[in-house]
Amino acid sequence: MTQQLELTDIQGNVIRAYGRFGYPVARYVFFNIRDNSKAREFVGAITKRVTTAVEWGDHPGQIKQPHWTLNIAFSYQGLKELGLPRTSLVGFSPEFASGMKERKDILGDDGPSSPEYWDPIWCYNRVERDKDVHIFISINAQTGCDRDEGYRWLLNQVSFVNGAVVILGGHIGDNDEQFDYQDSHAVMENDQPTAKEHFGYIDGIGDPVFEGVPYDVDRLPGRGKQMDDGTWVPLATGEFLLGHIDEAHEYPPAPDPVLLSRNGTYMIYRKLHQNVGTFESYLEEHGQKYPGGKELLAAKFVGRWRDNGAPLVSAPDEASKDDFNARFDVANPIERDKMLSDFTYDDDMSGAKCPFSAHIRRINPRASLQMVRDETTPGAMKISEGAFDTPGALTNRRRLLRRGLPYGEVKDRLRNNGNHGIVIMMLNADINRQFEFVQQQWVNYGNDFIAGNDKEIILGNHSADDKLLSKAVLQVDPNSDEAPYILSKIPRFVETRGGEYFFIPSMTALRMIAKGIVDPT
Amino acid sequence: MANISGKAYALTILSPIKNGYTEEQIAYADIVRTSLQAWNNPGFSPMAQVPQTYLCRYFVLDDVYTESLPGADLRSLWADVLAIISNTFRISMLPKQDQLKSRYLVFSCNFYGGPTGDLDGYLRGMWNTISDQIQPIWSYCYGFEQVNNAESFVAYMKKCQLPAALFFVGSNDDPLPEQLKALYLKQEFTKFAVANQGLDAAKLRANFQEFINSVQPNNIDQPTWPAGKFTV
Repeated sequence: MTQQLELTDIQGNVIRAYGRFGYPVARYVFFNIRDNSKAREFVGAITKRVTTAVEWGDHPGQIKQPHWTLNIAFSYQGLKELGLPRTSLVGFSPEFASGMKERKDILGDDGPSSPEYWDPIWCYNRVERDKDVHIFISINAQTGCDRDEGYRWLLNQVSFVNGAVVILGGHIGDNDEQFDYQDSHAVMENDQPTAKEHFGYIDGIGDPVFEGVPYDVDRLPGRGKQMDDGTWVPLATGEFLLGHIDEAHEYPPAPDPVLLSRNGTYMIYRKLHQNVGTFESYLEEHGQKYPGGKELLAAKFVGRWRDNGAPLVSAPDEASKDDFNARFDVANPIERDKMLSDFTYDDDMSGAKCPFSAHIRRINPRASLQMVRDETTPGAMKISEGAFDTPGALTNRRRLLRRGLPYGEVKDRLRNNGNHGIVIMMLNADINRQFEFVQQQWVNYGNDFIAGNDKEIILGNHSADDKLLSKAVLQVDPNSDEAPYILSKIPRFVETRGGEYFFIPSMTALRMIAKGIVDPT
Repeated sequence: MANISGKAYALTILSPIKNGYTEEQIAYADIVRTSLQAWNNPGFSPMAQVPQTYLCRYFVLDDVYTESLPGADLRSLWADVLAIISNTFRISMLPKQDQLKSRYLVFSCNFYGGPTGDLDGYLRGMWNTISDQIQPIWSYCYGFEQVNNAESFVAYMKKCQLPAALFFVGSNDDPLPEQLKALYLKQEFTKFAVANQGLDAAKLRANFQEFINSVQPNNIDQPTWPAGKFTV
């Protein structure tokens, strides 16, 4: 039976990537709690304006789409300040309690990504009580004016509680100025918002689809889980929402009482700076040597072409790309979406089209980890038939909902410094099993992909140490005479500038937290 | 034997540690543990000098773990039903709780044993290279006072051997020097491939010849990756 989610109880940002629903502008505001009981009043007032997952439209049971949305989440310290009982607090996951900064060795936040280089708000978080980040509030808006309206509303709510909650400054923006909020917005092209990030790639195409989400029924292929007969079904709800059955047919670990955790989830907030200058010069340098040319090389980094997001698996070279474009240009939006997401690695097990270290293959390997060496040809891999219950078994428990938008603008493509990057929010039921595993094993290590210690090309924490130089191999057809291309001395394209783990409660839980009646007994 | 796989040999030794303690009231088993923990420090473990060692692990076994009471299997179900007749019978069906009479030094090791699984040869090699480090550890074990040379060491270890097959999947069963040379060649070849990418055939051929001369693939002993070295 198809699961029905309680859309009135789930916060809207869990179900919707707002960017895709016509909200290209966002502002993230963080608070420190100074008066616990009045802070609960604040949470109560905010809760009344929180955007839920209820469907938008004119049909019965639907509501009018807002000009700006508002959502709220709490850090572990925040929940403690809001007076959650100890018996509830100990039920949260240990990595959530530790916080992102303490997990830096697992996450590979080293060198220029180390917490001492993070934006002041994140650098001082969990150092002094009065600088701890307790509450996260996000406003997503259709226009800059709508965002400003939402922010004014929020400031009013803050003023009503007389200093019980304080906005934390220290977000680095343009010209190294510090701001009281983190702004982000879609990258514009010809005055139109795009789905691109600052390196020029289309982002967020492969966002997972799970059971019970009404908006995603047509978006299954490539986003749900791959079955033996090649069909796609939605992932289990419990991979992304607490209190629901997950891919192991279990409830994910969650705090008591059930009303506190059910329909809530964990959010990973990360501000990632993009070294655009380094990226451009590295792409230029190797683009001149790489036999396929610069744009194909750029596509090899990610697994998709930069202009329209065409997957390399479907368009592995210039000729097939032209063919893809011809079909893509005349396709309707639903067909286009399918062309971008509906593919498997079944015919690319050796990585000749989409390299093993390309972004999309590392973040969502689909069924490609069900592989063994094909002993008939050196360098060839093949599907290990029937190794698991479903072909994607090694992937289905490592998926992440991705929310977020780019921030800042690139004013000079030859420079690294400047205010440009991406604020990414990843949602999952288990921070350790999903986000941290992907980050440690698939982004910063390559063994699962039989790629030694090659890191994911774009996001990997590539080393500047001469003895441990980063490289990545771009595979070729094992039956051809071509030589694999080796990307050597890969510099760090992306640096962490801050972040924290948050808990996004359900509406029920928010009301209970606001009233101080969370009772695990 | 189940503890031989191809040319790899899985050795498991359990040596009982004497139940005594020092004047400072530190148990012998704890002294053994502390000494072995020092082998873990950065730098090479003495075991790196022992020829043909793929991988090994030492630990002190304080006691065995007891599994909890049985669940709802058929056996315990019948024991429960028959308990109407005799409670003694029900209790007799419960698993026994075992405890060790002493603490044990456990040495678990995978090594190249050749086609015949040459345990004697391996243990002789161990004694000949690190007997000075072995003695302070094993001297706290029962019966080790009889060991004074390679032959008595081999005999002692074989008395302590358990026929367990704890294999580490992570190496093939070639002799250790061959595996180390292969690792070395793989790393050096990667560097060569990176450095020479895109050169024309003539230059590539010349550089490759130079590369082969420097890495000497047929010389197993050098240049190579030193045993036990784990950082670049």
